[in-house]
Amino acid sequence: MSNDWKSYQPLLIPAIRDLHEISVYEKNDGYQALKSILSDRKKWSPENVIEEVKDANIRGRGGAGFNAGLKWSFMPEPDGKPRYLACNGDESEPGTFKDRKIFEYNPHLFIEGAIIAAYAMQVDAIYVYIRGEYRPWVHKLQQAIDQAYEKNYLGKNIQGSDFSVEMYTHMGAGAYICGEESSLMESLEGKRGYPRVKPPFPAQRGLWGRPTTINNIETLANVPMVIKNGASWFKTIGPDTHPGPVLYGISGHVNRPGVYEYPAGMNIMTLINEVTGGIRNGKKLKALIPGGSSTPPLRADMLDGVTMDADSLREVGSMMGTAGMVVLDEDTDMVDLIWRISVFYHHESCGQCTPCREGTGWLEKTLHKINSGDGEIRDLDLLLAICNRMEGRTICALADAAAWPVRYSIDRFRDEFEKKCKKTVYAVA
Amino acid sequence: MPEIFIDNIRYEYETPGKVLQFMLDNGLDLPFFCYHPSLSIPANCRQCMVKAGMPIFNRDKGTYEIDEEGNRKIRYFPKLMTACSLDLADGMVIHTHHSDELVKQAQADNLEFILINHPLDCPICDQAGECPLQILTYKYGPEGSRFEHKKVHKPKAVQLGPRVILDAERCINCTRCVRFTDEISKTHQLTIVSRGDKNYPMTADGEEFDDPYSLNTVDICPVGALTSADFRFKARVWEMNQTPGIDMSNGKGCNTWLWTRDNLILRITPRFNESVNDHWMPDEARLSYSRFNENRISRPQIRLDRDEQVPTSWNNAELTFREELDKVSPSQILVLGSPHASVEDNYSFRKFFEEKGVNEFFYLPHIIPGSGDDLLLSDDQAPNTNGVNALGFRETDEAGLKKLIKSKKTSIIAILDDDILERTGLTAKEFSGSFTVVLGTNHNETSLSANLVIPITCAAEHAASYVNVDGRIQRTIPAKETLYTNRRLNLEMSMSRLDHYGTKFDNWVTDANRVDCIPAWEFFTRLGDEQTTPAYHSSREIMEEIAGRISRFKEVSYDRMDDENGIQLELKQNTEVNTV
Repeated sequence: MSNDWKSYQPLLIPAIRDLHEISVYEKNDGYQALKSILSDRKKWSPENVIEEVKDANIRGRGGAGFNAGLKWSFMPEPDGKPRYLACNGDESEPGTFKDRKIFEYNPHLFIEGAIIAAYAMQVDAIYVYIRGEYRPWVHKLQQAIDQAYEKNYLGKNIQGSDFSVEMYTHMGAGAYICGEESSLMESLEGKRGYPRVKPPFPAQRGLWGRPTTINNIETLANVPMVIKNGASWFKTIGPDTHPGPVLYGISGHVNRPGVYEYPAGMNIMTLINEVTGGIRNGKKLKALIPGGSSTPPLRADMLDGVTMDADSLREVGSMMGTAGMVVLDEDTDMVDLIWRISVFYHHESCGQCTPCREGTGWLEKTLHKINSGDGEIRDLDLLLAICNRMEGRTICALADAAAWPVRYSIDRFRDEFEKKCKKTVYAVA
Repeated sequence: MPEIFIDNIRYEYETPGKVLQFMLDNGLDLPFFCYHPSLSIPANCRQCMVKAGMPIFNRDKGTYEIDEEGNRKIRYFPKLMTACSLDLADGMVIHTHHSDELVKQAQADNLEFILINHPLDCPICDQAGECPLQILTYKYGPEGSRFEHKKVHKPKAVQLGPRVILDAERCINCTRCVRFTDEISKTHQLTIVSRGDKNYPMTADGEEFDDPYSLNTVDICPVGALTSADFRFKARVWEMNQTPGIDMSNGKGCNTWLWTRDNLILRITPRFNESVNDHWMPDEARLSYSRFNENRISRPQIRLDRDEQVPTSWNNAELTFREELDKVSPSQILVLGSPHASVEDNYSFRKFFEEKGVNEFFYLPHIIPGSGDDLLLSDDQAPNTNGVNALGFRETDEAGLKKLIKSKKTSIIAILDDDILERTGLTAKEFSGSFTVVLGTNHNETSLSANLVIPITCAAEHAASYVNVDGRIQRTIPAKETLYTNRRLNLEMSMSRLDHYGTKFDNWVTDANRVDCIPAWEFFTRLGDEQTTPAYHSSREIMEEIAGRISRFKEVSYDRMDDENGIQLELKQNTEVNTV
């Protein structure tokens, strides 16, 4: 895997000019997966499509890493009333910017994947929820959708079959929380983006009270190749437990930051040193945030042999997240960084649940105190206590996302935090 | 029957529901803020955390797995669960703060969180004393706070609408008010604005919170964020007494609490009654409290030759009334009962004139078509239209009344508490040919044009029953004292209060605020012929008599009304009788 990464040919964003045009996409085997499904309905019954995708074990690329096909199979039997697929392109986690590349370079791949998902779950409408700041890319996607409508890949009786599905884009208004699946649904319904209490889960009561599945854009973009080449082929890419291509969004202190497509399970040091050309200005690596700002940061010495897949990262005490890696060099002030991250979560907490609403602010204020040199050692204990009180006590995972970076950076970079705290002299009895 | 174990005690449940509601129904304590039994469940305050688990079921054996000590093995949920949103399940095990340290800690932690941005201005906050946050903090909260930073500042004293004022800093964002306007009053006037710890409820730009039910949000607000513009800074809850009552401003007959201090009603809040008003009440009804305090008729009034009414003694009033009655034949007396007066008053009123030989009784319904809504406001503006109807009073209107006055050559018009002149096109001229007696609670156009005015007790001063628009009979309990002392009324009052055994001297009473009036039935008892009319000692006795004599009130009694929170009468029967 990591040996042959140099010979790897990108599947999600291949280097083909004007691939966002439907004619170019069609020439490059585009919409073949959909056509093959619609032409052989016996082989590709909705149940079989779900089976195939489940077998391929596409782990959700939005952060949770849940098997996409398994998620699809939670949808209840159709009852003649509307059902929905919501595509999550909110991408609001700091350090994450991968879906943008799909909208820009290969929107039809995602559209095709979404249509296949819609077929498998027999839904009537697909909503694509895209972050509002992505105005140019929403435009690009909309163009692609219009083209797909023209060629009858979307709309009524697709390619002459009895399968019909509509696709709509919806722009978010700049709230991080609307990337959480249940508040995404609230937002789509035109309400304030408050996460919903689960259960009931979206597959039981989702959009407008009807069964709904929410998938990440990148997850859906993996679907056409699974149908085209089969689940067993898909599983040969990357590690067994976390197969498939992954868009690594690498940012921070590297020479060539950007989105890189490689199989899952790439060695982290390979990604940093070879793919992105190493740390800029010849500095040393200090820390890595592996999958967006909410994943626990890792110290450089913890990264030996660690690969970018869910299991390997869990072993060292972090998470795959969205694979939005933030590389930090030796000059990074961890306290400042964590304070800045906590400012973000303080700003973005929706304010619904008490521990998150109050806790994020408390963390931010305490970190600010430490960062500006007024902190005391006891404040570190307080921070950890606040983290304890926030984790797992709220409706959605934002409180956990806000607490983890703080907890793990105090755990892993405690010396830096202590250095910033005032020297407290304790009387020795 | 399915079972559930709470703090190692077994309970059985019949209907599926939520754990918190089940605990509340069983009298178990658990702190909560955002939950309200009549609203949807957002589970956002995170205060009702419990440790919950399910027994491990072995499908092959078909039994629960048992550990070495013979107890069921329990698989606990990995996180603490909010009891408000947790469904009851057969065999479920719940640990609250009574049996689990972690839960206890979680509850204290959550209160610490809530309080870090709460202004803690209890000494100047109107909610103090009846504030769930204050009460629960004393009971479950941490001993102190470790928060050393500046609190978030938000708008204060914002006039959200004509009746509600917002202090956003006190808000704990439970969203009860927002859910109320979305789910109950359906005006959707409130929403939460801003994010995180900066958010608070607000109306849309330029919109007023003029919901006709807006003051309910003040009741359900678990802190002092929403306060009533009217009641603000008027009194402390612990200085007031709370007496159950019935709303007099509308035919729906919402159940209320009358809050008194110094023998004045200071505010009215809703009292839960599932079959009438649930937890709610219209603003109009709450703000109608001043009629019990202000502009009251105290001492009988008599019009001598001049135009002015002058106060007179009770003795003189009684004598004058008797004399005037003796002058005329029964056919010349026009008796007007009132949908605004109680069943007992109307009954004794009718009975008195019946004994005098009058055989026709009328009343004017007080209905304003289109003024109601489908929630708690009915078109009927009077609390007892069905009651007076059921007692055999005949409905009439303005034209009918004019005709009656002419055709009967009326020389006495007796009006029970009803401002007929104000709400019809009739003028004092129409009454000028006859001697008008008004038994009233408040000075109004009708009472001012009367020749004799007898002050009677209002709904806040007597025990009496009223039949609402849906045919439900409910009774009031005296909340205020009058100058006239009736020991049975005093007893009713003290028994209604929380301690049940207080004396009337425990209450804050200023003599200046006592009105010189008597219950209408008492007046007729005094006037009545001692030989033929038994003297009533209390309205309770009258209701017993009514129950025995009028089939529609069969088996109605004060005790039953108290126990069952009002009794549903057969309405259909009434309408049939009336149409015949």
